[in-house]
Amino acid sequence: MKVHYYPGCTLKQKTTALDISTREAMKRLDVELVEPEGWTCCGAEYPLTEEKIVGLAAPIRVLRQVREEGGDVLVTTCSFCFAVLKRADKAIKDDPLKRKRINAYLRDDIQINPLTKERTTGFEDYAGEVKVLHLLEFLRDRVGYPRIRERIKRDLKNLAVAPYYGCRLLRPQEEMAVDEPDSPRLFEEFLQAVGCASVDYPFKQECCGSYLSVSLPAAASEASYRILRSAGMNGAKAVAVTCPLCFYNMDHRQEAIKETFLDFPGLPVVFFTQLLAWALGVDKSVLGLGEHRVPADNLFSETPATEVRT
Amino acid sequence: MRVKLKASSQPRKFIERIEELSGENVYACYQCGRCSAGCPVASEMDLLPNQIIRLIQMGLEEDVLRSKTLFLCASCFTCESRCPKGIDMARVMEAVRHILDPKGKDAFGPGEISPELAQEVPQQVLVSIFRKFSK
Repeated sequence: MKVHYYPGCTLKQKTTALDISTREAMKRLDVELVEPEGWTCCGAEYPLTEEKIVGLAAPIRVLRQVREEGGDVLVTTCSFCFAVLKRADKAIKDDPLKRKRINAYLRDDIQINPLTKERTTGFEDYAGEVKVLHLLEFLRDRVGYPRIRERIKRDLKNLAVAPYYGCRLLRPQEEMAVDEPDSPRLFEEFLQAVGCASVDYPFKQECCGSYLSVSLPAAASEASYRILRSAGMNGAKAVAVTCPLCFYNMDHRQEAIKETFLDFPGLPVVFFTQLLAWALGVDKSVLGLGEHRVPADNLFSETPATEVRT
Repeated sequence: MRVKLKASSQPRKFIERIEELSGENVYACYQCGRCSAGCPVASEMDLLPNQIIRLIQMGLEEDVLRSKTLFLCASCFTCESRCPKGIDMARVMEAVRHILDPKGKDAFGPGEISPELAQEVPQQVLVSIFRKFSK
């Protein structure tokens, strides 16, 4: 199976662990990931006012490129990219005025033929031909949990992991349409499919503080602390995330959190793709564990590779 | 704290502009307070999200534009998912930020982040915060 994959800016430089573990895992599931030629930043924030529609240009340009390459699905892992791409696509589909305005703006983009270097302009309007899927959705709907279970090489022995959705994956429900925002099952089912025990706790869809970690670090510390503490109190040995910013707030800033909240003993934070890649038999050295500030090595301790699951 | 409010004599202008920008019906709010109860940064705010809406309903533009709350919203949409009247408060906050003097100072601009921190954080956080909190 071949599918277009949008890594986004952060995965290429700061949080490569999420990118490389995704690639390794997908190789083992026989999924070939294709990056759209010349992709750019998605804009990180979906414009929330009716007048700032220029923020739709960047994500629509990415989606149009996927269509030009013959793709009809774009998979992404970062929750920010996912939200922007999915909401922009929906806006273009649902709102004829936005579709007209954005396409008028993007029509004059220059296209360079990779072979002849010939420069042309004049793109066909993008009208929502590409379906945007989060990797968790792609694994559930296109790959399927039975296939994951077939390919599992390592028994994770019901490792207790707390799924953390964060803000962008589920909300606003009407636009994201991934799962119920108050009682989601997507992440839980994924964890069970890879051999973990999913820990239920009340903070899985709360906000980690997001970008406030640079403008008001104390607020982000408190928000992240509430999540980590709740996960730990409910028996989790790790928190699994999908977003590089959640990872930064809960892993990189965990030292700062501990300095403020002295009762917090610490808890490793991992990407869901690291668990998947590990279960599928990927070598520990390519999981990007060196990027973690809170050591997560113990979670990935070598047990003899066995064909335990059928 | 009890505050006596006096409605603006011309509340419509401000409300209409907010509604036009956000696409939300501000009058739908009946002050149940679920947005404020669920807000992860409510403890830092000078005006709670439901109070912002109330002041908008009364046309008290200056009080709203002065509030710290506008630059504390992380757009996590918790309020949006809980509002029984279907108001997306994150859109209302963005609309108010849009109305603020466009020539004014950045609430959080590139100058306020140290080069060391800028090196350390994920790129997405810089793109996000400048899109939200700078002109």
